[in-house]
Amino acid sequence: MKITINQIPCECERGESILQIARRNGIEIPTLCWHDGFPGQGACRLCIVEVIEGGRAKIVVSCVYPVERECEVLTESEKVRRQRGMILALLRKKAPDSPEIQALCERYHAPEIERFLPETGSRCVMCGLCVKACGELSVGAIATVNRGVEKEIATPYHEPSSACVGCGSCAYVCPAGAIPVQEMEDVRIIWGKTFSLVHCQDCGRVIGTAEELAAAAKKSGQEPDTLCADCRKKMIALSFRHTYGEIHR
Amino acid sequence: MQIAKEEIMEILQAYPQEQRYSLAILQDMQRKYNYIPREGMEALAEYLGCPLSSLYSMATFYKALSLKPKGEHIIKMCDGTACHIRGSARLRDGITRLLGIDNGETTPDGLFSLELVNCLGSCALAPVVVIDDTYYGKMTVEKLPGLLDTYRRGENT
Repeated sequence: MKITINQIPCECERGESILQIARRNGIEIPTLCWHDGFPGQGACRLCIVEVIEGGRAKIVVSCVYPVERECEVLTESEKVRRQRGMILALLRKKAPDSPEIQALCERYHAPEIERFLPETGSRCVMCGLCVKACGELSVGAIATVNRGVEKEIATPYHEPSSACVGCGSCAYVCPAGAIPVQEMEDVRIIWGKTFSLVHCQDCGRVIGTAEELAAAAKKSGQEPDTLCADCRKKMIALSFRHTYGEIHR
Repeated sequence: MQIAKEEIMEILQAYPQEQRYSLAILQDMQRKYNYIPREGMEALAEYLGCPLSSLYSMATFYKALSLKPKGEHIIKMCDGTACHIRGSARLRDGITRLLGIDNGETTPDGLFSLELVNCLGSCALAPVVVIDDTYYGKMTVEKLPGLLDTYRRGENT
């Protein structure tokens, strides 16, 4: 199947999302709640594009819009730009303290709106990527709590979670830098809980928290890691050299 | 209030150990205790093998579930359009004066909780007050003390 995005013809499969097709063809569409590991949340609405199908134009959310038939896609039309600017302006009211959102606002010329008060001190845009990452990669220690304007991301009872292993996946995927992590020499503090860090036995680089490594080992049924990814590769290479001998060219 | 583990297990074991029953189980707990005790929520997470966070998320999302202990009798006061026009605000003040509680609060003796609700679908009876599951239509501030007394004396349980 073939569609055009900004007049560029793109090969695609039926059912692929427009965002995926655009990314594959090097066409930029801004996103916040998209992560390659957790695609298609459709929460931030930043990836809106205009789709022209059978002479009718409509705005769709490209990360969750599957291509069904040939169409023309515009990622930077006047309408898209105006609406995207408004979405960003509203997100900025929700998360005025996030430099990431601020940068996007400047880049996409978000208008200033006076009608709403900014939620001072907030960096979170409630995209839910952290909850997804924690649930699928880790232990499900955080979730959305309450509803409507009071909705927030939190641990049960707002207490340090007994389930949390301190892996930091939530902070890593967060597009707005909203989850505070403090990392010192030997400890990591996240969600109000302090974890001791494990260092690589060879190079001394941080490889994770003791709880995180234990949880991963339990899942895989192997001993917890003691080396970082690079040192592990080096070790495997060494054992290869030992087995097969050095290859000289 | 001390909550017996056996009692909680009894509620849990009425359902298969599948996450899709979590809301039904939480509702059963709410019905039995008038709130979701923390012990209950933790036992449920263990029973279903699901994260506590997802249950906490559910319990805080639904208005029908409460994490704080509620009174023995729950007064639902309708503040929908019809009831509002017919003076539900006066009734609310009346309750606050008589019991010292406002929306979402519980009396210190644990007897009454007040909840403002939006519409009970009984607009012809406006203003409506529902105590536990009994509807009292065309309510007035004058009728309130007598009505509350019948609950205090345990005549309406």
